[in-house]
Amino acid sequence: MAETDELMDAAERDLLAAAFRKAMTTSTLASASSSTLSAPGDDLAAALRELGWTDLLAEFPSVAIPMVFRLLGETGAHAPLVNDVVLATAGRDPDGTLPLPYAGGSWVVWERSASPGTALDDSIPLRRTDAGAAVDRAALAAGRRAVGWWLLGSGRAMLALARAHALDRTQFGRPIASFQAVRHRLAETLVALDGAEAVLAAAGDRSDTGPADVELASLLAKAAAGQAALTAARHCQQVLGGIGFTAEHALHIHVKRALLLDGLLGSARELTREAGRRLAADGAALRLVDL
Amino acid sequence: MAVDSGALTSDVASFRAELRSWLDSHDLTPDPAAEHSLDAQVAQLSRVRAALYDAGWMRYGWPEAVGGLGGPAVLRAVLGEEVSARGLAEPGIYSMVEVLAPTMISYAPPPLAAQMVPLLLNGEEQWCQGFSEPGSGSDLASLTTKAEQRGSSWVVTGQKVWTSLAQYSQRCVLLTRTAPGHGGITAFFIDLDSPGITIRPLRTMHGVDEFAEVFFDGVTVPGSRMLGQPGDGWRVAMDLLPYERSTCFWHRIAYLFNRLDRLTAAATVPDEAALGSVYLSLYTARCRSRETQRRLGAGETLGPETSVDKILLQTAEQQLYDTARDLLPSVIELSESPWRSEYLYSRAATIYGGTAEIQRNIVARRLLDLGKE
Repeated sequence: MAETDELMDAAERDLLAAAFRKAMTTSTLASASSSTLSAPGDDLAAALRELGWTDLLAEFPSVAIPMVFRLLGETGAHAPLVNDVVLATAGRDPDGTLPLPYAGGSWVVWERSASPGTALDDSIPLRRTDAGAAVDRAALAAGRRAVGWWLLGSGRAMLALARAHALDRTQFGRPIASFQAVRHRLAETLVALDGAEAVLAAAGDRSDTGPADVELASLLAKAAAGQAALTAARHCQQVLGGIGFTAEHALHIHVKRALLLDGLLGSARELTREAGRRLAADGAALRLVDL
Repeated sequence: MAVDSGALTSDVASFRAELRSWLDSHDLTPDPAAEHSLDAQVAQLSRVRAALYDAGWMRYGWPEAVGGLGGPAVLRAVLGEEVSARGLAEPGIYSMVEVLAPTMISYAPPPLAAQMVPLLLNGEEQWCQGFSEPGSGSDLASLTTKAEQRGSSWVVTGQKVWTSLAQYSQRCVLLTRTAPGHGGITAFFIDLDSPGITIRPLRTMHGVDEFAEVFFDGVTVPGSRMLGQPGDGWRVAMDLLPYERSTCFWHRIAYLFNRLDRLTAAATVPDEAALGSVYLSLYTARCRSRETQRRLGAGETLGPETSVDKILLQTAEQQLYDTARDLLPSVIELSESPWRSEYLYSRAATIYGGTAEIQRNIVARRLLDLGKE
């Protein structure tokens, strides 16, 4: 796997990432200005497919997943691509949907055709459904890595908004970024996100020193990313003050998305407990990664 | 994303495999009865270093000019991980080599480094670091221990504090004031048996007198013992941070994983959420530290981003011992077990080596570019 991934050079990756980002940004703008009940998520999925998403996922999943899902988070766009990842990894037709486990023993389906949603983040057509068949374990792990990268991107987006606000907003005659209490909240957020990114990267590492147990590494990666995104939401909301509570500022989109995505394929809280259960059963903590 | 380390990996993997098989057949386990006396810990440290040096392991990753056998620095991280994970030496004092030897290699006159560094690596000597002072903790650059030139020598007067292992040490890397400001700090390599030096161990709350106060009363140091040039002292102090925050951290994380395993086995309260949470925190620190090791191995210069490693580690360490107290109720309070001393020592994790607040200031200023406070 490592060798095939290296066939794609850095310039090629950058080019592709730029194209994906452009499609996502366009989709976000379109959905913000549209008063009709269009289906931005599915339109975006079609646009990404046209740019080569499906092939990339099939050929270079360890490039495709971090790149595309992180960008979804950073741009605030959305598309029902978790279906693609889970189905493709399970060796099924990626162009469908399937029941996905959600926090609290719930099951959801991420629909491909959009009608108004009832989820906390109502731009996303994620609905409760009846319990489905157990998801293939490797596919579940891949799905967790994908949602993890999305959460990380959302966290980065929130930090960027809060940082910009802290530098712009003046109170008591100086930018609020000059106050240590504000600085430390933002520092805390960056530490959580950088830590989670290291865990996500380790889970997708295909080198000889990649994780000994990819399923556990993916579970921990989703837990770290969920926790980091929730940490970002808490601190960035506070730093943004009143403006961050309005629907006129973009923060709320990322906050709601982080809350919604945290529950998908297991919440940080549930997955952390699962890791503890595994630890107690094994009697020793798997180190998973080595030098 | 992570640096590709394919070429290095095969070497590292075979090094680790050979090291493990050597350690399996050469028992360096400390006497368990003496494990928590500092005298015994230091004696054990010397024994481990001597054995590892004689067998060559301690020499890998260090340049040949100072008695090493060459090879990438990551080999030292692998060795320290095995030492920590097997409980052969206390990781805090074992890892001091990682900051002391690079300082000598970078700044001492080469003949001095060639003469002295092997004595540290082979366990014959202990050395210490005279940085903090009673009036200069977080604000290290305000230090006032002064060195005045007298002919070809320098005369040192002042006081250091929090000097780990000073009472066991033959030498000290000492920061002194020779002129005002950051550019007026000068480093020396001082023999601690020089006349005019008094060392007083500090009683600490965890009962291990690892730190000492060191008093300098007109101590003469030859000019040939200066590290770098006059005014290089701040750079000496800053240059060792990358070593502290890569290899030392990797060792410490290995040690904490070992403690997590012990806690998992000993816990009388079955709280899987709490255990999982500690595991996630430690594993996060390990993944981050591995990336830092890879960057170091690829020749990158480490900088303020290592404050992220530091915050992840110190947070995980305190969380581990807080959880130990929760899951081993009454043990820390009522039993004389290692958990008590280790729990108390973990309170210092957010203070030594740059406080939690200083680390967050660095992240805010240097990584988030938030401007001045």
